Amino acid sequence: METVTKRLYEGLFLVDSGEAAADWQGINDHVKKILERSEAEIVKMSKWDERPLAYPILGRKRGTYILVYFNAPSGKLTSIERDAQLSERVLRILILRGDHLTPEDIEKDTPAVRAEKGQPVSAPVEKIVEEAIAEDKDDEILDVDEKQD
Amino acid sequence: MRSQSFKKKGPNKPMKRKKRRENTNQQNQCRFCRSKTRYIDYKDTEILGKLLTHRGKIFSRKRSGNCAGCQRKVKLAIKRARFMGLLPFTS
Repeated sequence: METVTKRLYEGLFLVDSGEAAADWQGINDHVKKILERSEAEIVKMSKWDERPLAYPILGRKRGTYILVYFNAPSGKLTSIERDAQLSERVLRILILRGDHLTPEDIEKDTPAVRAEKGQPVSAPVEKIVEEAIAEDKDDEILDVDEKQD
Repeated sequence: MRSQSFKKKGPNKPMKRKKRRENTNQQNQCRFCRSKTRYIDYKDTEILGKLLTHRGKIFSRKRSGNCAGCQRKVKLAIKRARFMGLLPFTS
């Protein structure tokens, strides 16, 4: 008899912000259902963040990210991805292997949790890029790429 | 008379060179090697955003100072972040 080995994976689901705010439990159950249908055991599931998207995805400008750590047989990943792609409630999904993750990494606070606690959360991308540009002005190193722009 | 016209007027002045920041010469490791980062997380938009131009292009190794291995890790992380809508493809 063949033994099924399960690996740890990290999955990030992108869902519509409005829908997540209206029916958070429903979205959570939907993601759980997708994973459990493919024999995945959920280790931790939490809201990662709610933020404006860098570019519109299916007409949505804001998105809520759900971060899930789960153990699943490697052969079932394609079925998880297919289910997520067929689902109208999930906009994007990215599953990566989580072999490098330590228990501390899994339990680490997400930006959403840090915002609730009142701790500083990373600035939005536009601000970070603006700051980087401001730093560049002082920089004397030649930048070939910038000149091409 | 003619030979006098070819007389050297004095030693050539050295060309003015732009001053480079001292630490760029002193640093012999890239920012990720210095902090001993083994895995660059695609969700860490704060770090990855600094490695993009205002147009959303990835900075060259020359500009960012990354080593070849770290630049490959950065490339992969930025491309993953772009797919998930965390970073722009272009702007």
